[in-house]
Amino acid sequence: MRVFLTSPWIPEEWIRAHGLEPRGIWSAEEFRRGALPLSAGLCAFAEAAVRFAGAQTDSAVIFTTSCDQLRRGFDAATLHGQRRAFLFNLPATQTPVAKQIYRADLERLGQFLLELGGSAPRPEILRREMLQADEARRRLHEAAPVPAENQVPLALVGGPLSAVDRNLFNAIATAGGCVALNATESGERSLCPAFDLNACGDPFDALVTGYFENIVDVFQRPNTRLYSWLKPRLLSRRARGIVLWHFTGCDLWRAEAQTLREVFNLPVLLLEADETAGISPRDVNRLQAFVETLK
Amino acid sequence: MNAAPRKLNLSAWDDRYEQLRRNSLREPAYGGPLRRHVEREKDFRLEQLHFDNSSAALRLWNFLLTENERLRQARASGEKIVGAMKDLGTVPVMAYSLPGVRAFYPDGAWWTPCLMECSDNLLQQAEAMGIDASFCPVRAMLPAFENGEHFPKPDLLVCSTGAVCDDFSAIAQRLEHLGHSIFWWEMPRRRPPVSGETACELPGNLSAPKIQVDCVRMELQRVGKALGELAGKKLDETLLADGIRVANRVRHLLAELRQTVYAAPAAPLPALEMLVAEMLAIHFCSDRKETVAVLEELLAEAQSRVRQNQFVVGADAARIFWVNPVADLRAMNLLEDFGGRICGTDFMFTHALDLIPENLPPLEALARAALADPMVGPTADRAARIVRECRAVRAGAVVISRIPGASHCAREGEIIREIVRQQLDIPTIEFEIPPVCDALLPTLGSRLQALMEMLKAKTQN
Repeated sequence: MRVFLTSPWIPEEWIRAHGLEPRGIWSAEEFRRGALPLSAGLCAFAEAAVRFAGAQTDSAVIFTTSCDQLRRGFDAATLHGQRRAFLFNLPATQTPVAKQIYRADLERLGQFLLELGGSAPRPEILRREMLQADEARRRLHEAAPVPAENQVPLALVGGPLSAVDRNLFNAIATAGGCVALNATESGERSLCPAFDLNACGDPFDALVTGYFENIVDVFQRPNTRLYSWLKPRLLSRRARGIVLWHFTGCDLWRAEAQTLREVFNLPVLLLEADETAGISPRDVNRLQAFVETLK
Repeated sequence: MNAAPRKLNLSAWDDRYEQLRRNSLREPAYGGPLRRHVEREKDFRLEQLHFDNSSAALRLWNFLLTENERLRQARASGEKIVGAMKDLGTVPVMAYSLPGVRAFYPDGAWWTPCLMECSDNLLQQAEAMGIDASFCPVRAMLPAFENGEHFPKPDLLVCSTGAVCDDFSAIAQRLEHLGHSIFWWEMPRRRPPVSGETACELPGNLSAPKIQVDCVRMELQRVGKALGELAGKKLDETLLADGIRVANRVRHLLAELRQTVYAAPAAPLPALEMLVAEMLAIHFCSDRKETVAVLEELLAEAQSRVRQNQFVVGADAARIFWVNPVADLRAMNLLEDFGGRICGTDFMFTHALDLIPENLPPLEALARAALADPMVGPTADRAARIVRECRAVRAGAVVISRIPGASHCAREGEIIREIVRQQLDIPTIEFEIPPVCDALLPTLGSRLQALMEMLKAKTQN
């Protein structure tokens, strides 16, 4: 059974260790296909997740509490009896209590996965899955793009990029830029989890620590970890501007635009994803103007 | 001194005030004519509002409108000021348990653009600080912190985070980036206990797993430690238990007031005064002792009117259950102008109205009260309470006022309406109320009018 995740901070290794197949919802081909009629202020990502969950007959969707829209999206998804949806409590702080909440919710998720037909995770299986995921993340880290001489290196920062939004990379390239740092939720930033399996005897402990202590996201309070993570990367990738990708109604990212400008002293272009999937001609035009000013 | 209950505009209140004075009105230190708030504080919105004509209402309004001034006086006399943010009702109970400490909600600045009819340009200033109109009017808090012209800068800022509104969380984070240090504490999203988990009963007919209650208790312990350090005195169980008892006195009074007003055959007090009175529960309007006195007087007035069969809104008014606080206070007048009356409310802080359990260790009791926050749990829980209360007060309709830009409003109104329609088969209506709703008056008015007409036709049939 496929288990679709709405956040990279839910360990895919944990799903695999239960014998189920984790997928980022953003990577599903049928996710955000076509225009969604949205009422005022609704986030297109959250709405797409609600509709996606409602359409699933043999897959599950894991929502998270990381934002209002997803949290209440779960309420909407389960209002009509959808049983294959789960709301994972992603704490905002980094305190011991927050870690306890994270751990407890992973255990609760485990129960949910068992109810879905998953198998009880054996420590050696979990360890194997963690090692494989670590290796995959290491390889992906090595694959960071290097901009060509004539391209303007940009950082793409923000929320999740779904499959239908991938033409954003082409639009940036066509405009003369290059994504030197993909710090979206589905990009390099999501590769942060790292495990110390030697220090923790129990792989589950290592899983909890490896994820919880390495979450880098805008919803964290304070969100200093996000800025600490971005700073060296923006410097080393020589980013000359930031494209801030956010969904309509996403207060968490939108509120960071000014702080990003102030902290990194870089120009920031806001690109807003709405009910229409993909990049609009208006966005392309704005991107072109943005890159042109940076040349 | 007693006059038949009715609503007065500000000019009529000038005369009424003189009349009361001639009749030996006794006022607290913050008393005075309402007009002075327009002249001194530029609270221009008062000129558009209609107020209850009782001396109890005068005291309530003066209490509300002098909060910043009273906070400054407290600061000048050496008291410590805590800015509690977002939890709406929990941290102030702790803060007021300590001697020499006062807590207020900077969140309350969201009403400043309304009261000052945007003349202070707080919303424009917030936009210049990176928080534009796509955010809830609570963004007014940001420039208010920076310019220091409204509330005094708190000695300690405490903000709940986690399962809270994104608008607020994002604005508070921006505030921290601007150099205002914040003590964050985690509020998990409340969920029902699952099989095998120990369930804890929460106020408001809710329950949560023990692990969540324990987490919130531990977080509040951290908050308590910080408050104790600020006060120079440990916040021990005895102090906290006393604090809870006084908070419950306020909640008892409010429960009685709500019961008296909402269950009466007609409204003995207007909707606007009831909104303000309910707001006192969350942080005692920066004076716990005075809150009790204000509510006692208001309750006595309401009870006296009911006994004498005197009302400000007639028995023929449609019974409306109101959901969410209004960014423009005038909306509460508007409802009554179009033939409605409030018979129940959920202003987003029902957990601050419920009694805090006194048979539990104080911190545990507060953790349970905090977890009962309607905004941190499933929308269906909030809707269930609305349904329950609508049944109890025989509400004819539910009005949901959307808060402009508020991230939670985008979805929850829709869910609440669906559940209310399914379970009660009464009409629901939802509209957005901006901080100054004058431009929308024709639209709002016609929507309310249509609702009232429909309800009246239903009653006649």
